[in-house]
Amino acid sequence: MSEQIEPGTQTHATQQRQRASQLAQAVRTELQKAVIGQNIVIDDVLTALIAGGHVLLEGVPGLGKTLLVRALARCFGGEFARIQFTPDLMPSDVTGHAVYDLQTEQFKLRKGPLFTNLLLADEINRAPAKTQAALLEAMQERQVTLEGRALPIAQPFMVLATQNPIEQEGTYPLPEAELDRFMLKVRMDYPDAEQELNMVRQVSRSTRADMLDVQPLRTVLQAKDVLALQRIASDLPMDDQVLDYAVRLARSTRTWPGLTLGAGPRASIALVRCARARALLRGGEFVIPDDIKGCALAVLRHRVRIAPELDIEGLEVDQVLKQLLDQVPAPRE
Amino acid sequence: MRLSDASVVIRPRTTWEAMDLGVLLSQRHRRLLITSWAIVTLPIFALLTLLLWDSPSLAVFLFWWLKPVFDRLPLYILSKAMFGETPTLKQALRQWPRLLRPQLLASLTWRRLSLSRSFLMPVVQLEGLAGEERQQRLRVLLQRNAGAAQWLTIIGVHLETALWIGLMVLFYMLLPQQVELDWGWQTLITAATQDWRWLEHLTNTFYVLVLIVWEPIYVACGFSLYLNRRTRLEAWDIELVFRRLRQRLTSTVVTLLLAAILLVPTAPNVWAAEPVISPDSPRLLEQPLTSQASRDSIKAILDRPPFKNKETVTRYRFGEDKPASDTADDRQTPAWLKALFSLLDSQRFGVLASLIEVLLWGTVIGAIGLLIWRYRDWLQAFVNRRPTLNRKVARPLPQQAFGLDLNRETLPADIAASAESLWQSNPREALGLLYRALLSHLLHDFNMALKPADTEGEVLQRIEQLQQPALLAFSKNLTGHWQNMAYGHRLPPAHLQQELCDGWRALFGTGAVR
Repeated sequence: MSEQIEPGTQTHATQQRQRASQLAQAVRTELQKAVIGQNIVIDDVLTALIAGGHVLLEGVPGLGKTLLVRALARCFGGEFARIQFTPDLMPSDVTGHAVYDLQTEQFKLRKGPLFTNLLLADEINRAPAKTQAALLEAMQERQVTLEGRALPIAQPFMVLATQNPIEQEGTYPLPEAELDRFMLKVRMDYPDAEQELNMVRQVSRSTRADMLDVQPLRTVLQAKDVLALQRIASDLPMDDQVLDYAVRLARSTRTWPGLTLGAGPRASIALVRCARARALLRGGEFVIPDDIKGCALAVLRHRVRIAPELDIEGLEVDQVLKQLLDQVPAPRE
Repeated sequence: MRLSDASVVIRPRTTWEAMDLGVLLSQRHRRLLITSWAIVTLPIFALLTLLLWDSPSLAVFLFWWLKPVFDRLPLYILSKAMFGETPTLKQALRQWPRLLRPQLLASLTWRRLSLSRSFLMPVVQLEGLAGEERQQRLRVLLQRNAGAAQWLTIIGVHLETALWIGLMVLFYMLLPQQVELDWGWQTLITAATQDWRWLEHLTNTFYVLVLIVWEPIYVACGFSLYLNRRTRLEAWDIELVFRRLRQRLTSTVVTLLLAAILLVPTAPNVWAAEPVISPDSPRLLEQPLTSQASRDSIKAILDRPPFKNKETVTRYRFGEDKPASDTADDRQTPAWLKALFSLLDSQRFGVLASLIEVLLWGTVIGAIGLLIWRYRDWLQAFVNRRPTLNRKVARPLPQQAFGLDLNRETLPADIAASAESLWQSNPREALGLLYRALLSHLLHDFNMALKPADTEGEVLQRIEQLQQPALLAFSKNLTGHWQNMAYGHRLPPAHLQQELCDGWRALFGTGAVR
């Protein structure tokens, strides 16, 4: 590091960083026990947790989206709440509302499931736009305004939303503003043959016949640990070139011919934060371009809109973004 | 050629009827036609196949191209057979080399792709016309039946293809079941990768077999079309009727004449005085008004109104003319405008007009070019839209990748030594030099397709694919220290100098880069 730091503090910081890395890697190991064959997704979710962002999980049914979130909640000592989004869900069901108490003859605020550390918004695109919008304030500002009072939400706060890409009937696609608030959009894909074999072997052995058990996982992370991890991650040194690379990536989506809508500045910020978190997860002591490139796809894919011509051609956003990543030069001295 | 000897009924037919006649004609002489065709073509095809064993498509193409050469033989046979002089097989084959001589080159080059080939072939071969005479003949012939002749060729192409495919399918269906099992469509499609050449030659053979049946019919149809056209042009049918009349009457005419002379002996003068009346007879030419003069004056009168009203008008038209409102407009249009229009109507500005036309077209083409240039990024993105699979692009080696100069000439001759000497003063640069040299090595010696977008991690992954443990270990070590310095701002420890330089020497030797 170029700054002048006393040797004592530096070694202390290094030790702290190493411990943080070990903690993050311990969580990863635990999660990998529960969710088999989705290591990349686990890394992405942990990245978002350390970077203090929200995650949108997308995948066909039966890949273990909900299982992953439940396993994370199990490893994490904080509060966990779950909302199953349905077409008749109202905003007050999410945020909470005032209830008249007959005994005290007063209105009492009844806080909704939003006031938690880890929120699983299952099948988020099944609720109409107004209910989805109830999450906006909580996700961006970490507070909820109820009856004119702004109530802070406990830290850390992370929303894990899942959605199903194939079913279009009776779903409400998330608006851009909502999508932009998710730090990462993670796609779950089918596991490898070998891993699937492994998983089937384990599941069929478990007591609950059709799903993996998350009970035996140990709790390795408390709420304050997460905050500490986030703080340490945001302190990770980052070279100017790497920062520049992140910004260049985000900016190039705006002029890229295959995309009609580019990513906003939130994307650059998310890229940098994610890269720091990944570096910590990797056990590195500083951020390298690989960290940026590794999370670029997840950060950008929901913030851009593919050109209609390419869409008609049957191209996916991911393919276009991969082309883009292949063209933007990586930093070098 | 004696029309009375023709083996077919000569009368004007519709074009399709004429082609039908051709089919019948070829059917009548099918044995001779097919045998002679087969005798001529099969050896040539065999020879072509043997010579071009490695390129079956070329062999069949050449064979197809030589079709006019073979076509001459059936035409000769048909033309002889038409008038009852059907040659024997031996005679026909003996004639074939002689038939090839006239205008062979032309028929194999610029006339090869003519659609009315079979229709016009008799002009060269039977009439022996060439040059301007041939052109005139063609002009007359093609006035009517050109369309039908072209259709004949087009139908022929389709029929050939259909028969060819049919023969192949038949062959496929006749295969025993066990053999067929190995003939999945995929293996047929991937035939290029295996030794399936004989299969291609087999399909070529099918084509040749199809031609044995079809090509004589094609020639016969063209020939009958030609005959039909000439029958119409030269009134062969009428000539035939007259000839038959003459044959029938020659015997009776003598007796009739005798009888007439005997019966009318009193009026011989009248018989003698009766002249042949024709416009050119001297009696008429001696009149004050000769027939020539009267004809001219008639022509002159016919050319004048009201018989003909010729007028040549050259002017510019602006959209639809409105003849009804012309008179009304005449009053409103100012005189100068009329003058301008009349000036424009005259041919004086022809050059200027064409100049303006050229300019306008130039502007249009330029504008299109400008548009393409303006949206070249867009076009590039959409023309290259698919991330193409397996397409190997021979990309030029980047000289300036990663913001590092990877050109070999810019690197010192002895990397390890220069790095060692640099280490004391500027360890950062020394490490940079080593890393740069490593990339340059990968690029030039291992032909690794490195892109500017590749990060250090991706480069390492590619090195892993090379499966060279020593190189991988060294690269990992070097990359780690390079990243430490470049992104972590940590100076490498002193002992690293020896380690890295030795590693370099062990891997690439001292002067390896140059």
